[in-house]
Amino acid sequence: MKRVLAFALISTFVVAACGGGGTGGGGGATIKVGLVTDVGGLNDKSFNSLANTGRLDAEKDLKVQTSVIESKKQEDYVPNLTTFAQQKYDLVIAVGFLMTNATWKVAKQFPDVKFAIIDGAPANDKGDSENLPNVANLFFKEQEAGYLVGVIAATMAKDKVGKATHNTVCSMGGIPIPPVDRYIAGYQDAVKTVSPSTTILNGYSNDFVDQAKGKEVGLNHISKNCDILFQVAGGSGLGYIAAAKEKGVYAIGVDADQADVAPGTVITSALKRVNKAVYDTIKAVTDKTYKSGDNFFSASNDGVGYGKLDAVVPASAKSAADQALADIKSGKIKPKDTVQVK
Amino acid sequence: MTGATQTSPTGPQAAPSVRQPTAQWAQGPAVPVVSVLISLALGAVFVLISGHNPIDAYAALLLGAFGSPYDISETLVIAVPLTLAGLSVAVAFRTGLFNIGAQGQLLVGALAAGAVGARFADLPGILLLPLTLAAGVLAGAGYGAIAGYLKATRGVNEVITTIMQNYIVVFVMHWLLQNGPMSAPNALGTPASAPIGAGAILPIVIPNEIVPLSRLHAGILLAIVAVVVFWFLLWRTSLGYELRAVGLGARAAAQAGIDPKRRMVLVMAIAGGFAGLAGMIQVSGVFHRVFDGFSAGFGFDAIAVALLGKNSPVGVALAGLLFAAFARGGTIMQSNASISSHLVEVVEAIVLFVIAAEAIVRAIADRRGTPAEALA
Repeated sequence: MKRVLAFALISTFVVAACGGGGTGGGGGATIKVGLVTDVGGLNDKSFNSLANTGRLDAEKDLKVQTSVIESKKQEDYVPNLTTFAQQKYDLVIAVGFLMTNATWKVAKQFPDVKFAIIDGAPANDKGDSENLPNVANLFFKEQEAGYLVGVIAATMAKDKVGKATHNTVCSMGGIPIPPVDRYIAGYQDAVKTVSPSTTILNGYSNDFVDQAKGKEVGLNHISKNCDILFQVAGGSGLGYIAAAKEKGVYAIGVDADQADVAPGTVITSALKRVNKAVYDTIKAVTDKTYKSGDNFFSASNDGVGYGKLDAVVPASAKSAADQALADIKSGKIKPKDTVQVK
Repeated sequence: MTGATQTSPTGPQAAPSVRQPTAQWAQGPAVPVVSVLISLALGAVFVLISGHNPIDAYAALLLGAFGSPYDISETLVIAVPLTLAGLSVAVAFRTGLFNIGAQGQLLVGALAAGAVGARFADLPGILLLPLTLAAGVLAGAGYGAIAGYLKATRGVNEVITTIMQNYIVVFVMHWLLQNGPMSAPNALGTPASAPIGAGAILPIVIPNEIVPLSRLHAGILLAIVAVVVFWFLLWRTSLGYELRAVGLGARAAAQAGIDPKRRMVLVMAIAGGFAGLAGMIQVSGVFHRVFDGFSAGFGFDAIAVALLGKNSPVGVALAGLLFAAFARGGTIMQSNASISSHLVEVVEAIVLFVIAAEAIVRAIADRRGTPAEALA
């Protein structure tokens, strides 16, 4: 009890001491938004950095006050989310499915604070998803992005463009979790539709970080005649791209535009515009249109798409992809979301 | 910091006085304090270069670490494993061994505690908690003892073996949790074990009504006990005397009838025990299960903690608290003052650098000063 008393004393002291300082907690109309990255950190050139881009864009356009915390360890998710919630932020955004349980814990404790989680829904300690009235679950239709790059890959394989001479395309996931498999499912669906004769292979590196594992799968795929390799494995996928570069075949990036990773090797990327999801969610809070529960980002609201095309990609492939994009938006094409070739 | 090293000049305390070369000021807290101050000053230069105000930065750092009851409780949560792993490194240092393996020993302790806590989840707390505790400490001790044994019997450098052991446990852990016997469904999005039983959980010591979501657990009491045990062991037991004697000069100790080899195995087991306790506490107090990427880095920061704390019990505890404040405060500094939390890593690195520089200077001074050093 002494300990508790000491804390109470210290807290009153500190509150009193800070009262005059005023670090921006004016309590006016400015909306405060906090973003918590996962352990990938701000410079992952993917998920977290995209989310941060969305935050900075919103800060510029929407006159909101924003902050970011980089998580260094998995143990940090709960305290980092709690820190923003305790400072009475209006919206706290958790980046990535690694934080589903942490978000559930913290959001339950702070029912007056709005939360958003990218790629997941709050999950209780048993691991079951449980929607909360103050958490927006931001999902993406990855199968649509996978479908678009699949159309490009299939067109090039069918027409034997450049080094794609074996009519075989491949993909590699990190770990078979739903968002990864949705990408791959859409990719395979497109290839089967556009070019039924094309051989499809798929594999997993069982890792999201280790490049060596991704490269191993890549070299194996290339030895089986693959000449277009689609990576869905984050950092591990960079090894998959490296294998393509080493053997002089083509690769497709994921999430962010990865054209810069290996110019001439990466022909395009399946884009998941996390920045757009973050921006739109912040805007929804300022507009008072914030909606808890599932929110989807898809081709129809520019949440997914395909990235910069390399010079080797023929006009026929581009027009096929653009047609597919229009058809997905109109609902004429509904890409499958379950993997067919395991 | 000085209390422990400067008690009675007689009896077991005679040993340090054999080694008289260093000036008195360097033995006390002066060097660590000065090195931290120098580091903060150099860190301020980096803040200035990055276009921010250093005073704002350090104010945000301080407030982040101690600005609210929640911040204080979070800082203490981080200080617990840092201090325990710091004791692990320090006890080995005292015996002249360099334990780089605190991280691996911590993870082995966590795995053992997680396995026992989940396997016997139905046992009442009065049985399960001690069992989990013993599992964590003994597993860490066993893992540490391997390096000590190899050093004693084969002369294998403990730096090499403990580094290798760190890698081994990371990969074994990966296997155990991903598709091995410990894997279990969970909501973490990463391979993890089943949760431990309610009886194995260390209670939170601050009620939720006072500090919501505080994670400060009873492990802090265990850490305090460990600091006292460390002091008692080294300065109040004959074993501690022998360990320190080996640390000051293995050959001289052997002349005096102390077998350094047996002490090496023993001290590495003790070091592993401290680190294993840290792992057990992270499982029982903070996360209630083990997962891939668990408590990354504590065992490495612990080396800096031990060096800064001059391998004394109070020193290690204070250094653990300081590094915890850096970790917690740095996070908040980033959100409240928009200064990259990597600044604190810069400051920590400079702290280490300054301490290492001091050690070099002292080593040179020692070599010049005393022929007695040749004994070591």
